[in-house]
Amino acid sequence: MAVITIDGIRLEVPDGKNVLECALDAGIYIPHLCHHKDLNPLGSCRMCIVEVEGEDKPVPSCKLQAKDGLVIQTQTDEVKRLRMLALELLLAGHPEDCSTCPKYGNCELQMLIQYIGPKTGRLKMRAKGFSVNEANPLILHDMNRCVLCGRCVRVCNDVRGVKVLQYQKRDLEVFTGALQEKLLKDANCRFCEACVEVCPTGTIRDKLANSEVRKEDYVVPCRMGCPAHIDVPRYIRFINQGDYAAANATVREKVPFPHCLGYICVHNCETECKHQYLNEPVSIRNLKRFAAEHDDGEWKKKAFHKPATGKKIAVIGGGPSGLTAAYFGAKLGHSVTVFDESEKLGGQLRYGIPSYRLPREVLDHEIADILEAGDITVKTNTKVENAPALLEQGFDAVYVAVGTHQGARLPIPGSSLEGVLVNSEFLRAFENGTASVGERVVILGGGNVAIDCAGAAFRLGAKSVDMACLEAYDAMTATDEERAWAVEEGVVLHNSKTFPQILGENEHVTGVVIKSVGNFRKENGRMMFDVLDGTEETLPADTVIFATGQRPTIPMEPEAFGLELTHGNYVAGKGPNGETSVKGVWAGGDSLTGTTSVIKGIAGARDAISAIDIYLGGDGNIDESLAPEQEKNPEIGIIDGFGDIPRTEPTVVPCPERVANWKTCGPMDKGFDEKKAKCESERCLQCDLRLCISSPRTWGDYSKEAEA
Amino acid sequence: MADFETQIVVIAGGPSGLAAACQAAEDGADVILIEKNSAVGGAANMGMGPLAIGSKYQQRQMIDITVEKALNMFMEYTHYMVDGRVVKRYFEQSADTIEWLEDMGVEFEGAYKYFTKSEATWHIVKTDQGIGPRAASFMNKALYARAQELGVEVMLETPAKKILKDAEGKVCGVLATNKEGKEIEIACKAAIICCGGGGANPEFIKEQTGYLFGKDMFNFAIPGNVGDGIKMAWDAGAAKTQVRIEQAANFEGMDDLPQSVPNVLMQPNLLVNKFGKRVMDEEQIQNTTFLSNAASRQKDRVLFSIVDTTIVKDYIRNGVDEISMVRTDPDVSDFFEGVEMAEKTGNKGLFKADTIEELAEKCGIDVDALVETVDDYNDYCDGYDEEFFKRKKYLRPLSKGPFYAGAIRPGGYGTVGGIRINENCECCGDDFYPIPGLYAAGADACNLYEDSYMFLLPGNSMGWAVNSGRIAGMEAAEYVQEDEDE
Repeated sequence: MAVITIDGIRLEVPDGKNVLECALDAGIYIPHLCHHKDLNPLGSCRMCIVEVEGEDKPVPSCKLQAKDGLVIQTQTDEVKRLRMLALELLLAGHPEDCSTCPKYGNCELQMLIQYIGPKTGRLKMRAKGFSVNEANPLILHDMNRCVLCGRCVRVCNDVRGVKVLQYQKRDLEVFTGALQEKLLKDANCRFCEACVEVCPTGTIRDKLANSEVRKEDYVVPCRMGCPAHIDVPRYIRFINQGDYAAANATVREKVPFPHCLGYICVHNCETECKHQYLNEPVSIRNLKRFAAEHDDGEWKKKAFHKPATGKKIAVIGGGPSGLTAAYFGAKLGHSVTVFDESEKLGGQLRYGIPSYRLPREVLDHEIADILEAGDITVKTNTKVENAPALLEQGFDAVYVAVGTHQGARLPIPGSSLEGVLVNSEFLRAFENGTASVGERVVILGGGNVAIDCAGAAFRLGAKSVDMACLEAYDAMTATDEERAWAVEEGVVLHNSKTFPQILGENEHVTGVVIKSVGNFRKENGRMMFDVLDGTEETLPADTVIFATGQRPTIPMEPEAFGLELTHGNYVAGKGPNGETSVKGVWAGGDSLTGTTSVIKGIAGARDAISAIDIYLGGDGNIDESLAPEQEKNPEIGIIDGFGDIPRTEPTVVPCPERVANWKTCGPMDKGFDEKKAKCESERCLQCDLRLCISSPRTWGDYSKEAEA
Repeated sequence: MADFETQIVVIAGGPSGLAAACQAAEDGADVILIEKNSAVGGAANMGMGPLAIGSKYQQRQMIDITVEKALNMFMEYTHYMVDGRVVKRYFEQSADTIEWLEDMGVEFEGAYKYFTKSEATWHIVKTDQGIGPRAASFMNKALYARAQELGVEVMLETPAKKILKDAEGKVCGVLATNKEGKEIEIACKAAIICCGGGGANPEFIKEQTGYLFGKDMFNFAIPGNVGDGIKMAWDAGAAKTQVRIEQAANFEGMDDLPQSVPNVLMQPNLLVNKFGKRVMDEEQIQNTTFLSNAASRQKDRVLFSIVDTTIVKDYIRNGVDEISMVRTDPDVSDFFEGVEMAEKTGNKGLFKADTIEELAEKCGIDVDALVETVDDYNDYCDGYDEEFFKRKKYLRPLSKGPFYAGAIRPGGYGTVGGIRINENCECCGDDFYPIPGLYAAGADACNLYEDSYMFLLPGNSMGWAVNSGRIAGMEAAEYVQEDEDE
């Protein structure tokens, strides 16, 4: 320990600690610019200079080591004069006009000007004449605003070990950047954005930054994009570290269906993944599945289970949303009864998504884990006619998640001919083994459900499958991957088509009339398009399947189900957590939101069950920590050609085989093996590391103490 | 349950918010100030100082400006389309505000004009180093320190989201998001909205003013100024007033070039539109609001300032004709280097050509018309300006290439106006009655100018900000006190 005195204040500090840090930690502000808590001191900006008793000249306090008896002054006239001079020199090469700078209001230089005082007109201003470099993905460079604090160079080299950024010179101006002014990608940049984080000015900027969005949301958009906010970078890091069970436990902290989601999630995380700006997004869903395949069940020991509350919750609908509510409801100590119309639990996971895409063992296993979580009673083959009536039957709260299991048959001529089917019933029959199709099948619709219908039709022996939809190829709602698989299996796409009539003979379907459309758009939720004359053609068909949307099985009459409905027979939402028109009844999943996704249904259930718990007297907290502490190594190092590493594709059973032998070959998508998972996890930009960097400390944080 | 409780919440910590917080706290109120950025000072960090009328500096400098004279000037300039009671109270308090600021340690250089034709109402904050941009950031520091000394709790990185009202329609709280992104509720009796307008929100600008940011409007876009305060006030029942851009002309893409380039182009040079025609006596371009107005009324909302090599050399040798408090340096010796730099960085607002024809082509100006205009203009230089009567001393012929042209487009400082207030800075509804407990100050409530910024009395933006902030602060403090007494 050393005793030092700063501006008359005695401090006991560790021997050798840099004096600037000693002062800042003790609540004494010394202005600084090049210094950053997480970086080695550089001493170049001269802002933190102080006078040391017994020395002739002021010295930068960031380079001064504490030793016993050191006496320093931070605010003498000489120090102030030199500080002002240093700032003046620095500002002579900085654009005068701040008002066009996106860093305005969060700029450390601007705050320093407030503190030290604005310099003005004594020195000749110099424009550096760099053009703003927008050629790189994610990161923008405006070297005109650089003050050469060197933080970016230090963080890139010393902390991250990536060694991309170096000092360079062009004409007489020094700047920082990749050697030979290469593109960042060509210089093996890892795009961790640490340089952006430490830059005190508007020089190195995050292209995705948005002052109206929380910083951690635009910095780690995969986590924000996931409706359940699964901590994506955290579990990918666990996979990279070889701790697959911990990765799965991380996913489990938010959702009780990690393995199912690994097969079928619509992966909004990948839509957001910042790697797409380098080449393609990280294959996050497959990594999730890989982790789930290596589950060791250890998370169960850490899962919370609250004591019984004596409260009863009814859940109507045993799909992913209802079962998530049941799972957390039971863990919160409530007694839960799940009602489902079908024979088995699972909802769309079982009756909407074919088994060749999602193996039933996987689904059954996860449902079994859920039912183990606490006091859950299951009543299948039980249709609830009126939701609020359950409140009178002794339930304290009700969660409605009946999904959308009723396919829509469009009212066009021929729609009730024999051989015309609807999506939901067809897929349910496929699951039950009772479905059949003719040789020539036409699917009407272009979403993921349509794709599943097409795949199922081939597996039932169809010789040809045509798919007609209003959307142009690029606007189809089916995901690219699923559409590609369908085309590979032989589906013929007819995009931008309307289908005004289904043809038949002897009450049986024989074909579908299609016509081209232009200018397809949605106005106020209604589909609008212009039919193009002279484009009529007929697709011959033995079976036609409507895949043009689904609705809840709730009766259309508003009184029957006991809840206010909207858009026909969807439950009308009355609050942010799925509140309905009746107190004590919540809703979630597709029957509230319209047909969306499993993950959104799960996220809605989490919000609702939390609100229900508060309603029942609990604290509504369903957070849990199932994965162990994670070590995040800030030194991510150099990987050659990092930005160009291609996305790892899963192993998929090749085409004729996966259709012909679909009953025996298991799921068509085999996911990742260990090598592929490791490789793909390596591609993650680890955007979350940036959030671990210390925030700047500015005079505003200290003035309260200083005044006191 | 509210997370915090106080009497007054001040929303945002620019000059109006800081002044409101200080004044309210001085008058005995408990105050929390929330600011979405990590620094206080807002747009004023860039500015130089506030307007005052009848200050001791003006008396000392023998500047003849009284509240009566300024008020009359102002009302005539705005055609009586603004609230005289608001202007009166603002001007009347403005001299006292200078002393109020001095009491907290702000010093002033004195009272200044912005350009030759304006009045000396601009009180520029003293720094140790003379006069120049950013001077007012010193004032912000003093206001911030004073607020903290008075016990104002300042929460940075905490954007406000919504004004809460009770069953009687009185303000009862403010919803905000804290540093960690969590929603917080602050219970209060009064809220003062000081969010600085919506200059950084292209959609808001388009909706409210019809300009397209980055296309035909190049105003300052200070991050965070997105019109959220105005929208919160509207949602809480305040009436809408016209939102406008506080206009000042913009030289496209000149930020990163040496000052000499815009400085040369800002002189009373030949100024033409896309048809190659002159539009005004160019001497008026010193008033950058007039220049912006003129530009926004042309085809493609653009004007071109044109010089030849002889004129540039003349400026380099003798200094430019006109300087302003913002462009203070008459030395433009590095103009040619600046042009070279502009060529290298692909600047889109500066044009160089060996002949007038080629210049016209590059700028997209009608070639024949420009040639004719230059011929006429050169004739005027030998006689007098028959067209717009520009004074002789500014008439310089264009004869020697290369020629240079700079695109001048509408620009400005962001938006002003949007929330109806009365002279007590109370937000008022469509029925003109105040909403109990809701106040607004600064740019959000700056309904002072009707169509054009009043550049003849410079310092108005910051002057209004600080003074309206004080008015809102003192009125809100009185309101919460009365409410307490009931």
